[in-house]
Amino acid sequence: MTKTTLTGLSSTLTLALTLALALPGSNALAGETLDRVLQSKTLTMSSDPEYPPQSFLNDANEMDGFDIDVGKEIARRMGVELAIVTPGWEIITAGHWAGRWDMSVGSMTPTKSRAEILDFPAIYYYTPAAFAVHTESSVNTLAELNGKVIGTCGGCTYDAYLNKELVIDAQNVPGFEYQVTAGEIKTYETDTNAYDDLRLGDGVRLDAVFSALPTIQEAIKNGYPLRVVGAPAFYEPLAVATDKGDAEFNARIAEIIAAMHADGTLKKLSMKWYGVDLTTVQ
Amino acid sequence: MRLRQFCPASVAEIAGVAVLLLILIWLEPGDGKTGGLLAPLLNPLFGSLGNGHEVSSARHIVTGLLLTIALWLNFATLRLLPWPLQVAAVWLELLLLFAAFVSSFDRDLGVWFESGRAGQTNLAYLISTGAFTTLYVSIISIGIACVFAMTAALGRLSRSGPAYAIATFYISFFRGTPLLLQVYLIYVGLPQLGREFALDAVPSGILALSLCYGAYLAEIFRAGIIGVPHGQHDAALALGLDRRLTFRKIILPQAMRLIVPPTGNQFIAMLKDSSLVSVMGVWELTKTAQVIGKRDFKVFEMLIAAAIIYWLISIVFELIQSRIEAYYGKGRQR
Repeated sequence: MTKTTLTGLSSTLTLALTLALALPGSNALAGETLDRVLQSKTLTMSSDPEYPPQSFLNDANEMDGFDIDVGKEIARRMGVELAIVTPGWEIITAGHWAGRWDMSVGSMTPTKSRAEILDFPAIYYYTPAAFAVHTESSVNTLAELNGKVIGTCGGCTYDAYLNKELVIDAQNVPGFEYQVTAGEIKTYETDTNAYDDLRLGDGVRLDAVFSALPTIQEAIKNGYPLRVVGAPAFYEPLAVATDKGDAEFNARIAEIIAAMHADGTLKKLSMKWYGVDLTTVQ
Repeated sequence: MRLRQFCPASVAEIAGVAVLLLILIWLEPGDGKTGGLLAPLLNPLFGSLGNGHEVSSARHIVTGLLLTIALWLNFATLRLLPWPLQVAAVWLELLLLFAAFVSSFDRDLGVWFESGRAGQTNLAYLISTGAFTTLYVSIISIGIACVFAMTAALGRLSRSGPAYAIATFYISFFRGTPLLLQVYLIYVGLPQLGREFALDAVPSGILALSLCYGAYLAEIFRAGIIGVPHGQHDAALALGLDRRLTFRKIILPQAMRLIVPPTGNQFIAMLKDSSLVSVMGVWELTKTAQVIGKRDFKVFEMLIAAAIIYWLISIVFELIQSRIEAYYGKGRQR
C-alpha cells in the first residue's frame, strides 16, 4: 500500500537491456510456477521485513505479521513449506522474478500500471488510509488540514491521493472523495520516515502525515506522539501478486484466498493483527 | 617525560580565540545544554534558568566567555604534553564530545541490549547477521575487484588495440554509471537472457561490487604502475631480466607502495557501499539495523549502532593498511 509504484527506472532498465541485446523478455511458461512449487515442496514468498504489523522481524528473530501469516496459510493449504525472501520493493515491482520467488504477499495495491508487470490473482484485505498529526497540534478535523504541510511516501497511493490522481483499477474498490488539499506535500522513501519528522514537533517539518491507519496505530503504540484525525480517507484493496504467465498457479491462489475469506481465516488473522476486520469493504 | 616549553600566544592564536568567542556568543549558549552545565556557577549572578525567564544577553556573553576560556586552556595544556599524548588526549576528547552528542538525542539506546525470545541481544544479532554479511561480501568483492583491476590496468597499458578498447570501455562504463543501477542490471537484467543467468542475491551483489570497484581500482593500479620511474625498466633490461620478470619483481613491488593507500580508501568506501546489495534482500549491516529498528520503531537507535560498527571495522582495516604500507615502504625508509 505505502509502496512506491513501479518506477520508470525498472521499466526503462528492462527496455534498455532488451534493446541493447535485441532479445525478447522471457515469459514464464504456463504452469511453471505451480510445477516448481509442488516439485520442490516449497512456496517462496517475497515480503518487506520493515513493515510492521504486516511483516517484520519478531523478538524471536523470525519473520512475523499479518502478511506472513497469510503466506503461511496459503502454503499450508497447498501442502508445501513456506520460504521467505526480502528483496527491495523496486526489485519486486520490476517483475520478471526468474523463479527466484513465487508470490508476493506484501500488501500491494493492484494498480493499472502494476498489473502490466504482475498478476494479481486475489485481494486479501483492505487498508484504511488516514491522516495523523502531532499530539500537540490543534487540528481536529480533516477540513483543518487544508493548506498544511503533509508528509507521505513518494510515488505511493497516498502520494497519488494527495495529488488527486489516485487510480486503483481493481474490483470492489470502495469509492472515495478528495477531502484534503495539502499546502505542501513532502515525500519520503517510506511513510514511516515521515513519522520521524512529525515526531520532532508540531509544524517543525510537518503538520501531518498521511499513511496506513494500522501503521500509524502501531507507531502510537510504540510511543510516537501522534493522533489520528477524522475518518479514513479511502480504503485500498491489497492483493497477492505473482509473476506473469502461470494461470494455473493464479487460479490456485485465488481459490485458496476465496476459501480463507469464506471460512473466516482471514478475518481471524485481521483481528489478531489489527484488532478490527479489514478483510471486507467497510 | 620532558614537558614542552610553554610558548607565548601568537597573533594567529589570539585571532582564533577571538573568532571562537564571537561565534560562541552569537550562538546564545546561556540557556542551552552547555549553559545548563554552568548554571551552578552563574545562577547566583543572574538568577536561576527556566521558569520562562528571558535569558539576558549578559548571561550569553559570560557563558560564551567561560566556554572560550575553557577551550583555550584545554589547548594550552595539551601543548605541554608529548606528541603521542596530545593525539590520544584529543581523540579521547572528540570521542567524548561525540558520545555526548549521541546521548543528547531523545532516544532509547537501551534497545541495543534488549533481547527477545531468541535470547540474543539486538546488538549481537546486528553483528552476527549484519556485520558478518557486510564483512564477507566486502572482503570477497575487494579480492575479485583487484583481479579485475589489474587486468584492466594492464589492458589500458597494453599496445593491443582490442585489449585497450575493452579495458577503457569497462573502466568508463562501471565508473560512469551508478552502482545501484549496476546491481539492477545484474540482478533483474541478466535473467532475461535466460534462467541460467539468474544469479542469487549474494553472488549478484559481489559481482556488482567487484565490477564497479574493479573499474576504480584499475585507474589506481595504472597510476601506481606508471608512477615507477622508467629508469627501473632500463636497469632491469640491462640486468637481462625478461619483461614478465621485470614486471613481477621490479615494477609491481614499487608500484604497490603507491597502490596500497588509495586501495585501502576504496575498501573502506566499499564496506559502506555494500549496503546497496540490500535491495536484493541481503541482510547486511544497514539493512539488518533497519529491520531490527522497524520492529520497535527504533530505527535511528539501531542505525547509530550500525554506524559505530562500520567505524570500528574501518579502524581495523586502517591499521591493517598501515602495516601493508610499512611493508612495501621498506625501501624508502632511511
